[in-house]
Amino acid sequence: MTLQNIISDFKLADKAVFLFSLSLIITSYFYFWQSTPASYAIIKSPQQKSLQVSLNENQLYNIQGALGKSAIEVKQGKIRFISSPCQNKFCIQHGWQQHHGNLTACLPNRISIQLANLNQTENYYDAINF
Amino acid sequence: MQTTDIQITTNHQDRLIAGFAALAISIHLLESALPSPIPGIKPGLANLVTLYVLLRHGWRLALNVSLLRVLAGSLLLGSFLSPTFSLSLAGAIASLIILGLTWHLPGKPFGPVGLSILAALAHMTAQIVTAYFLFIPHTALFGLLPLLLTAALISGTLGGILVNRIIKRRDELTQHE
Repeated sequence: MTLQNIISDFKLADKAVFLFSLSLIITSYFYFWQSTPASYAIIKSPQQKSLQVSLNENQLYNIQGALGKSAIEVKQGKIRFISSPCQNKFCIQHGWQQHHGNLTACLPNRISIQLANLNQTENYYDAINF
Repeated sequence: MQTTDIQITTNHQDRLIAGFAALAISIHLLESALPSPIPGIKPGLANLVTLYVLLRHGWRLALNVSLLRVLAGSLLLGSFLSPTFSLSLAGAIASLIILGLTWHLPGKPFGPVGLSILAALAHMTAQIVTAYFLFIPHTALFGLLPLLLTAALISGTLGGILVNRIIKRRDELTQHE
């Protein structure tokens, strides 16, 4: 059974389906693996209502968390923690976030920042498994 | 007290469905024991039975065999009505719909390979979409789609070639009888 034998069994439509799927899949890599810039961020804290901020307006936010106030900076479509009353400062190390779907957080201060695009409905849960 | 005997009369079709479903369920169980390199990727050998039944006995039988496989397979694995089951069912229904549509096209343009590829891709896409709407509502999930579709194309193509061989071999054997 050689490769030629195998391919000779393919009907014309089979070959067409194979090539069409292949090109579609190659396109899907480009489509799904590009990162799109986010347009806004949702800042959540246990101390206050979740805040939706636009990434287009440069601004500094002081958010009250579980330990104290965290400073969050928005600049040119990006967002980052610049100070937080936590020990390890991982949130600050994490740096600028700018892509849709990104998430950064200061766990000790219980503040999270989720980046998204417009027209995104808020979900009631992150994932379900059992 | 009167006893009644319940008698179920089975016809040839019923017996075919039962036999093929049993085969598909066995393969399904064996396959679930195989370790998978990446979650979500497996060869889909149980679906080869569906494809074989479709080609030899038509779509209605394939439908019965495939749905029975999903149901009985989940009962045996203990995943009935769990997320795994929903994904399995969604995949099976999507591929059955695609197979039904393409199989009934006039002139039957598709051979086993084309049908197998289409079914595999439909299976995978339906599973991802179901997972997105029911379990992981995050668009990052679609980042998996290209990889999973690549795997589906490979397993679909190989599966189609295998079924083609099986049917040819079976035809040869029947001629010798």
